[in-house]
Parts: sequence; structure tokens; C-alpha cells
Amino acid sequence: MKRKSFILVLYFGCFLTLTGCWSQKELTDLAIISAMGIDLTENGEYASTLQIINPSNVAGGLQGGGAGQGPPVSIYTATGSSIIEMNQRASKKLPRRRYYAHTNVLVIGEELARKEGITGILDAIERHQEFRMTAVIIIAHGVKASDLLKVLTPVDKIPANKIIKNLRFTEEQWGEVFTLNLQDVKKDMTAVGKSPVISGFSIEGDPVQGSKMENVQTSDPETTLSATGLAIFKEGKLVDWIDGKTARGTVLILDKIKNTGISFDWKDKKDVGTFQVIRMNSKNIATMKKGKPKITVEVKAEGYLSEIRTAVNLTDPKILIEMEDTIEKTIKEEILLAVEEGKKVKSDIFGFGQVFHQNHPKEWQKLKAEWHDVHFPELTVDVNVEVYIRRTGLRNNPSVLKQ
Amino acid sequence: MEKAKIGAYQFFVLLLLFELGSAVLVPIAIGANRDAWIAILISTVGGVLLFFVYYRLYKFYPQLTPTEYMEKLLGKFFGKILAFAYILFFVYISARVLRDFGEMLLSFAYVDTPLFIVNTLFILVIIYALQKGIEVIARTGELFFNLLYLLAVIGFILIISSGLIDLNQLKPYLEQGWTTVFNVVVTETLYVPFGEAFVLSVILPYIKDTKKIKYAGIAGIVLSGINLSLVMAINISVLGIDLATRSQFPLLTTVQSIQIAEFLERLDVFFMVSMVIGIFFKASIYFYAAVSGTTILFKFKEPSKLVYPIGLVILFMSITIANSYSEHLKEGLDLTTRFLHPFFLVLAPVFLLAIAYVKNRKRKKK
Repeated sequence: MKRKSFILVLYFGCFLTLTGCWSQKELTDLAIISAMGIDLTENGEYASTLQIINPSNVAGGLQGGGAGQGPPVSIYTATGSSIIEMNQRASKKLPRRRYYAHTNVLVIGEELARKEGITGILDAIERHQEFRMTAVIIIAHGVKASDLLKVLTPVDKIPANKIIKNLRFTEEQWGEVFTLNLQDVKKDMTAVGKSPVISGFSIEGDPVQGSKMENVQTSDPETTLSATGLAIFKEGKLVDWIDGKTARGTVLILDKIKNTGISFDWKDKKDVGTFQVIRMNSKNIATMKKGKPKITVEVKAEGYLSEIRTAVNLTDPKILIEMEDTIEKTIKEEILLAVEEGKKVKSDIFGFGQVFHQNHPKEWQKLKAEWHDVHFPELTVDVNVEVYIRRTGLRNNPSVLKQ
Repeated sequence: MEKAKIGAYQFFVLLLLFELGSAVLVPIAIGANRDAWIAILISTVGGVLLFFVYYRLYKFYPQLTPTEYMEKLLGKFFGKILAFAYILFFVYISARVLRDFGEMLLSFAYVDTPLFIVNTLFILVIIYALQKGIEVIARTGELFFNLLYLLAVIGFILIISSGLIDLNQLKPYLEQGWTTVFNVVVTETLYVPFGEAFVLSVILPYIKDTKKIKYAGIAGIVLSGINLSLVMAINISVLGIDLATRSQFPLLTTVQSIQIAEFLERLDVFFMVSMVIGIFFKASIYFYAAVSGTTILFKFKEPSKLVYPIGLVILFMSITIANSYSEHLKEGLDLTTRFLHPFFLVLAPVFLLAIAYVKNRKRKKK
């Protein structure tokens, strides 16, 4: 009997200790940070912007009755001389405990990226147990990170989610920008033969107006966020922005494009056709010729014709082969445009150096030291493109072709 | 010596769990940079050779534990001294493994919890298991072996299907040449984890089917070597050499990078579970070796009673051993793998084997 009661007491003792509430954090006490922005202030300190989810407003919105209740996110800012310090200082304003495990977006202000670079500030984030290295990193193009995070967005209520989805679907369907997480950036930054390129986001419209609820209560929001261009980095610092075809060429070399429409000229008529890519991959091959490095970019693209606005007989396979050649040239031009841009700022954003390191380690030892400044700008880049038009959609000939 | 019977399969499982133990969690052989996986594979060959040394020793005295045959081989006085040194070594390494466990948990999950609490809870579990005897540990091993491999296979599939593996990261091969690789093999990976198989000679006398020991041992070492090499290759190809080198626990970082279909992510628990399983067996077996040695050396009748005091020693040692994790690691590299492991895991066994050869040849001549 005594033994039994002893065991009983032990059992209850276990209940007290086994609940695991050593550092318990109640859900209602957490400030879930969806995005974090870092800027440089005028006196050289860091300014952080924390975008915090208002759980009740997000849930209300989903059921349709939540409009007018308040914004789905709130912004808190703080300044400090180090990343950790300023974020902890933000707790003076925050009624809850900061929680980083759901921080999916890190926004770096352009000024910070240009003046100080991103190498140093990533350390604190990398070291942190809560912060995830799978968070997406973007650069605020032409604006402050704090302004970017303030803008409220329709459809996807939480701006951080909008940014991620925006990037992902642009990458899948168009290709001027691509998703890059912190781990990828770290990998690129530490590889000698590669510099990172990071997608940029900018504000269209008035930032102040964008932070108000009215912004999401109209069908045509006054202020929107849009992915604009790629930021080229050199030695950890932002040096240039690329956009449009140059940007797509870059993403193409990096083999990140899944789907895209390539407009091409046909018989002196500009951009009359569109080639819809279904599968595309590129490969960089490094060779050494007489001690000189050479890169061959090999691209294979497969797809169908999705638009043609000129009289051309698409039922003739020979014409399609001719068309393939034209598209190949267009893609090649785009790639060379990107390579020229990279050479101009002397930053190997394509990872050509890395390919040399991996395949010609001995020669790389000589090239390594001055790769970005001397050898990369002088590098011969050959582009081989193979395009296959597999079909022409649901119609054969365009109606403009009179038979 | 307690009365216990262990099957050859159980021995294989224990060996495998013991070898994987903490080695799969920390960056082993990272001194060889991108060629870490090559270094591990080479060490596996060395590990098999070392296992033959231990196995031959066992063959000379199939009924005796190392503590006993040390006395026979070196004489009463020196044999006892060496056996006692081994006990200290086992206790020390057990404490180190426990410290590894605590530091890992504290670094990434239980940041606010004191090390003492975490280590105490874990040593209590180990004490409980050891008190039940080696048979229970072996059976637990069978159970957890399946779980560990299930996790490993799922994790492997997830990593591959998330498209994270970039085999180009492993290139260029042998950038620093074979010398670096062999240097790492000889100073590091040969002992941890492969040489550590010596600790399992403590349980060799319990094994029923003596004929299968050889095959179980070789299979265990080879399989664990392949596993470790594969894990390191995956770590480097996912993280790149820089991140893999700078990560305290590369496997954790690798597992954390898995992102599939928006919801299969943050699978830290994979790492956590394999860590608890691996470290449990590694610490327990070292601990058991210490207990078994003490029982025989000091002629205790009930080994299970010894578990508590030695457990306390291990617990306190694990905390006082170093001030910081960095110091703990530094101590591991500078003291343990440089002096203790080569002596206890290679030199001493080889020396004992040599004596055993000479003695037995004399006997045969007579």
C-alpha cells in the first residue's frame, strides 16, 4: 500500500515537471513577425521594420465580414547600432514577444545594400535559432525597406505572403526575377567565383497612401508593390540594377526559368510572334584554350507557338525550323546582353568562375585572385541555343494568312 | 559479469547506432573540406581493419571482457592499471557525448534552459536503461533502429525531391590532394567513430552465435561508414562547403532547408529524434563499458547498483568539462582525438593483441 501511494505521488510529481513549460510561450503572447526590413539611418545606425501579423484581422477577412476592422499587419520600427540590439529595442513598443520563426521575408533597404553591403547584417540572422534560412531576401528598389513593408496589399492580405507568391509566380511564368532565400545568398557570397543577384521590389504610388486601409478597399489600389529588376552585388555591396531583357537573360543563365514567353521578329516585322517555353534549361561549360578561360552557355528550350500576328504558313515544318533559328538568335541576344552588363560592372553574377573552380581547379588557382576584375570581363562567352517548337496551340495557320 | 544473451543482429544494430551516434550530427572529417566523404570512406576501411584487431583479441578470450583479459595479458598489476585507465576513459567519453547532447539541444531548441537540467533528464533515462541491463538496451536498439532508418529514408527522399542537391558543390574533388584527406583520416575519423567500436568488445562475450560476430561487425562498420559518408556528401552538396564548415550541426541546417509543397518544411524534428536516439546509444554503451569494467575490477556483485554513482560522475563531468561549446570542441580535437583515442582505441588494443599472440604461441609449443 505504501509503495502504491509512493508511486502515485511520483506520478503527480511527473505531471508537474513534464509539461515542458520551461520557456513556454503562449500563442496570445507572440508577435508573429511576417517580414523584417533593415535600413540605414542618416547617422549610420540600422533601422529595423517589423511587420507583425494581426491574427484577428486576417481571420476576419477570410470570412468576408472582416473589412474595416483594421489592417492585417502592423508595423513597428526601432533603431540601433546592431541588428539584435535594435530588434530587442523594438520590444519597448511591442506589447508582445517577438517571434521570428515565421519571418518569411527579409527586405534590405537599397541604401544599406549600396553603402554597407549585406555580408555583415546576415550574420545575426544566420546565428539566430528562430530565424529561418529559408526566408526570402529582397532589396527595396529605390525606396526604404520600411516604406515597402508598410504597403497593404489586396488579394493576399499579408504583404509578406504577397511578396513571396509574387516572386514565385513571376519566376514560374515570366522570369525577370526569382526567389532567392538567405541560404542561397550566403552560398553565393562565399563562393569566390560567383556574386549574388537579388530580386528587387518597388512601390508604385504613394507609400503613405499605401499604408492606409483605403488602399485595399478599392478595386484599383493607389499604391502597389511590384517586382522590379535584379540587384547585382559585388563584394557584398549593391552596384547595379538590371531590368527587362537583361534581367531575364541573367535568370536564364542561372537556369531558373521555368516558363516564359519569348517575343521574336519575323521577316522585318518586330515582335510579331511569341514562343511559349515549357521546358528550358541551361548549362555552363568551362574550357581552357591556350591558358585563356572560355565559357559556353548551352541552352535548350522546348515549347509551342502561342501567338503569331503575321501571315505565315505554320503547317510547313520548314518554316517552323526557320522560326526556331530566329528564336535561338533572340535568346542568344538576351543572354549576351546580360553577360555584357555583368562584365560592365565587373561582377560574375552567373557563377562562371565557380564552374571553372569545379572543373579546372588547377587553372582556377591562377585566375582566382583577379577573377571579377580582370579575367571575367575579358572572358569569351559562347552561347549555343537549341529551340524546339513542338506544336502551335489549338490553331494551325493564323487568320491573316490568305490561302 | 551479468548474465545476458545478445543476438548477432542485436549486436549489429547496437554497433550501427553507436557508430552513427553523434558522428552523424556534427561535421566530421570537415578538415578534408569537400572531400570529407572520401575521407570517411577511407576511414571505413581502416575501421574494418581495427575491428579485426578487436575481434582477434576476443577470439583469444571469447568468455572474457577486456578488463579480464587485460589482467591475463599484462599481469595483475599492470593489467589492473590499464583496466582502470580504460574505465576513466569510458567515463570521460560518456560525459563528452552527454555534453554534446546538451549543447546541441541548447543551441537550437532549448535556448533558455540550463545545461544541467537537460543533461540530468537525459542521464536519468540512460541510468534507468542501464539498470535494466544490456539485454534491454539491445532490444531498445532493435526498436529504435527501425525508427531511425525510417526517418533517414524519409529525410533522404524529401531532400532529393526538394531538388536541393547540387552535386557540383562537391567539385573539385581532391583539391588539396590526398595528403589532406589522409591526414584527416589518421588524426580524426579513424578513431571517431570507427575506432570507437572497441568499446563494444565489452559486450562481445554476451553474444550467442559467435560465428556471426565477424559478419555482424563488418556489416555494422561498413554500413555506418557508407551512411556517414552519404550524409556528409549530402550536407556539402546542399549547403556548399562554406555553410557546411561553419554550421555547428550541418545535418540540422540541411534538414531545415527542405521546403516541399508549402507545408513539408521545418522538419527539425527529424534531426532532433535522430539526435536523441544516436546519442542515447552512444552514451549508454560508453557508460555501460565503464560500469562493466568497474564491476569486474573491483569485484562488485550487483552491477546495477553502480549505475547511480557513475551516472552522477558522468553528469557532473559533462558540465564541468568545459566552459563553452567552443572549448568543448577544441578539447575534443586537441586532447581526445590526438592523445586519448589513438592510445586507447588503437595502440593499446594492438599492443594487447601482440602480447596475446606471443603468449598463445608459447602455449602451443608446450
